[in-house]
Amino acid sequence: MSKQNFDAALAQKLSELEKSKMPERDLWQGIELALANEPAPNQIPNETPKKTVSTRIFAVAATFAFIGLFSWFSMNQPEQGVIGGQELVAALSDQHREQKDALLVRFRDQPALTQNWEQQLDELDDAAAAIKSALKEEPNNIALLKMLQNVHQQQIDLIERVHAPKWQQI
Amino acid sequence: MIQAVQQGDRQAYQKLYQTHIGQVYGLCFRLTADHALAEDAAQEVFIQLWRKIGNYKGDSKFTTWLHSVTSNITISYLRKQKGWVHRMFNIEDSEAMNESAEASAGSVDLEHYIKRLPERARIVFVLHAIEGYRHEDIASMTKMAVGSSKAQFHRAKGLLKEWMGYE
Repeated sequence: MSKQNFDAALAQKLSELEKSKMPERDLWQGIELALANEPAPNQIPNETPKKTVSTRIFAVAATFAFIGLFSWFSMNQPEQGVIGGQELVAALSDQHREQKDALLVRFRDQPALTQNWEQQLDELDDAAAAIKSALKEEPNNIALLKMLQNVHQQQIDLIERVHAPKWQQI
Repeated sequence: MIQAVQQGDRQAYQKLYQTHIGQVYGLCFRLTADHALAEDAAQEVFIQLWRKIGNYKGDSKFTTWLHSVTSNITISYLRKQKGWVHRMFNIEDSEAMNESAEASAGSVDLEHYIKRLPERARIVFVLHAIEGYRHEDIASMTKMAVGSSKAQFHRAKGLLKEWMGYE
């Protein structure tokens, strides 16, 4: 069958597509809950900040901490790379655990907007565990350390997003 | 209704939700190819819509503006949901992409084929062929190059052509 036939058949099928589709569950309850404390739309400033101030401060602090810790271990323990690298991983993990626990406590009484966020958190935990396992073999691998930090940040973003969703762009 | 919503009328907003949820969810589902993701994305669309509807000045049709908001939020949602794992392991196939070859018989409808497309190809195809966006707009929305958008569209059409039995 020719290309022309295909284009015509595709155009025909596209014109027949039903654009409307209803979700299986009622989404309104969650929306209403999320907007309960929101001001009227005409009272919301045009430009909402992309991230909260606290998130920015955390991101900057985490970056400096990461660079500082890595530099310190690189300079001070050149002959003990395995121990230094593992200590760095432990320090990053401890710092992240404290940050995560603080957020979970903060949002403890606040309903989450998605049902499977804890499962997503667990999946990210699994990813972090896999990276840590790889880091045992290559403790000073910067790419792996960055990946670990990335997973940690994703967990923080996830917790904040499901409890106080903030979109970066519309 | 829109003016009432802009002034904070929540009943009017519920009516607006009821009027448009089908269109919004339909687009979310086509972009995500996943019911649960689409429901979460649609929910976020209506949360963000409340915050953004004050910016709607009536310069374009409300449905056009709403589709633009929906597309951007859903793409952003997908990026956040799947970002790390997918970037690290270069996974882009939808669940349906992994279905057996038998499922690609010609009798299956276009909706199913779209669901089977790899993620980037699917997003570009939905936005270009169904929603009517230009590749320049899609490039901006998806943060890919215009050429990549065109290439993904070509890839989508090639796969559809094959699956629909035209090759």
